[in-house]
Amino acid sequence: MSKLQPLQFYFMHFMPYPHVAPGRPQGQWVDIPNRRFDPKIGHKLYKEYIDELVLADRLGYDGLVVNEHHATFYSLMPSCSVIAGALAMLTERAKICVFGTPIALTYPHRLAEEYAMLDVMSGGRLECAFPLGTGMEYWVNPINPSFSRERFREGMDILMQAWTQPGPSRYDGEFYQYKYLNPFPLPYQKPHPKIYIVGSGTEETVNFAAEKGYGYSQVFTPIAAQLKSFENYRATATKNGQKHDSESIIISAIAFVAETEEKAIEEGKEHILFYFKNLLKTDSHLNSPPGYLPVDRLRKRLESGAIQETEVTWEGLTSAFRTVLGTPDQVAERIAFWCEQAQSSKIILHLHVGDMPHWKAVKNITLFAEEVIPRVRKFTSSALQVAAE
Amino acid sequence: MSLFTKRTVVVDGIRVEVLEAGSGEPLVYLHGAGTTIGFQDILPLSRSRRLIVPIHPGFGASDDDAGINSMLDYVVHYNALFDQLDLSSPVDLVGHSLGGWMAGLFTVLNGRRVRRLALACPAGLRVAEHPTADMFTIRAEQVPSYIVSSPEALARIPSTDLTVDMRVGRYRELTSLARIIWDKEYDPKLSRWLKWIRVPTLILWGTKDRITPVEQAKVWTSLISTSEIETFEGAGHLLFFEAPKAVGRLGSFLAK
Repeated sequence: MSKLQPLQFYFMHFMPYPHVAPGRPQGQWVDIPNRRFDPKIGHKLYKEYIDELVLADRLGYDGLVVNEHHATFYSLMPSCSVIAGALAMLTERAKICVFGTPIALTYPHRLAEEYAMLDVMSGGRLECAFPLGTGMEYWVNPINPSFSRERFREGMDILMQAWTQPGPSRYDGEFYQYKYLNPFPLPYQKPHPKIYIVGSGTEETVNFAAEKGYGYSQVFTPIAAQLKSFENYRATATKNGQKHDSESIIISAIAFVAETEEKAIEEGKEHILFYFKNLLKTDSHLNSPPGYLPVDRLRKRLESGAIQETEVTWEGLTSAFRTVLGTPDQVAERIAFWCEQAQSSKIILHLHVGDMPHWKAVKNITLFAEEVIPRVRKFTSSALQVAAE
Repeated sequence: MSLFTKRTVVVDGIRVEVLEAGSGEPLVYLHGAGTTIGFQDILPLSRSRRLIVPIHPGFGASDDDAGINSMLDYVVHYNALFDQLDLSSPVDLVGHSLGGWMAGLFTVLNGRRVRRLALACPAGLRVAEHPTADMFTIRAEQVPSYIVSSPEALARIPSTDLTVDMRVGRYRELTSLARIIWDKEYDPKLSRWLKWIRVPTLILWGTKDRITPVEQAKVWTSLISTSEIETFEGAGHLLFFEAPKAVGRLGSFLAK
């Protein structure tokens, strides 16, 4: 087993709006009645959620992660840059991670500008991850889902040209022509902030990240499928002469820590179930608009029966996804195991989940920082010693 | 009545399936955005004619063409296919729904290749007061009640309990459709161009069409000076599937 870099613990917030609309088998996305949004509740939630992120910075987390979804109670962040802008000024040490705006849904030069602003504002603390965006986003943005992948790649091309070629430069693509590509400001970090690609296991996305030398992270897929993608990623990166190490792969886990295992389950379980049953739920009509999925991938999905429309069970989700509830020792042991298993030294922790109240999130974030992180570091450093002997 | 024979024709490297039935003067039928219902309803047209039903790239048994992303690409494809099929003297051209849009634009650009034109509830026009339904937002289970009107016709539509092959096939055809009309389900320029159609044209429409509302028929006839209109009481969007009379009317128009 190769050596892991020092572990980095990233706290991620989805910023859900937990007052979901009842009786919607298709979930809380796209055609959800937006009149259910109460701005007073929204204001309170933003304050609490940002407080939780700022607390995580004070407690020593290595990164604060925000992301972006549109027209959904799943997330109050249709623009992750807005939240990241607040964090850049309210925090001191942690990386600000925009994981991130789907570049196909916006003007690529504009994203290059906004992210450069964030990097400069935070004094070089920005990290970026680029998702294609879920299928749901393509129903509510005026972008053709059947060209989403091509547009994504061209967007990445433009962003990289904007950040690495002296401006002004010219860009002539299928979707965009720039007469003067000349973003101002430019990023604080040189040549540019760390870049990851977020995928859901589609082979071409894994290969794209590996060939270009970007990092890779995989969401919405069971552990086994992720491990397979990571293996492919490393093989493809090596084949293409791209450097990669344990920081190239980001994994994520839902964790809830308490004094005893019983208490952790009592306090945490309902919110995690709420997240899966209400917020993450969609159906194939909404998550696969025409052209969004390559046709052969839809076939694989249908044949494997891996469609999210099946009923979520606690046993099912805790075995398929990285989920741990327990004492600091129990949680630390699992986290260390998952990092070793994936050969990843960068782990995103979901410590506020679903309809979790502020006090529980604060407790969980604090216990994880003070009791779990030191234990994981001990586990992994002793494992490294054993490996070295 | 004869049945369709199938053959494969290669156009610009893309294999397309061409169905044919009957013999006589050629009659080309451009189908709509789905092929799963089949084309048996228009077979009566083959009694006195060579009925040719080419399957669009990206649909049915035809290959995908990664280069196609506009209606104009399809029209250019059909110009080449007509050459390949040796359709050198003017032929009768029929188009249904998406195929009606295609046939209309084909005739605008290739008027000399068309003798008579028939458009059955064609898509492609922007009629602000009576817009075409957004095909993409209609959920799979609701599609049957959108494309036919009568309970009898509804009962003949394959059930929504589809096999993997059928679901994948449908997704693929919707993908091909999305490539050309996700951004706009019409061409804003079509209303400007249709006046250049100068061949005898029949516009056919069902009065209970929930995809392209029958009110659009008048707009088509107002734009094509050589056109006449025929509506079919109670019929939905799958006009020939639901109203055999429409096939008969089409046959007599083309026999003139």
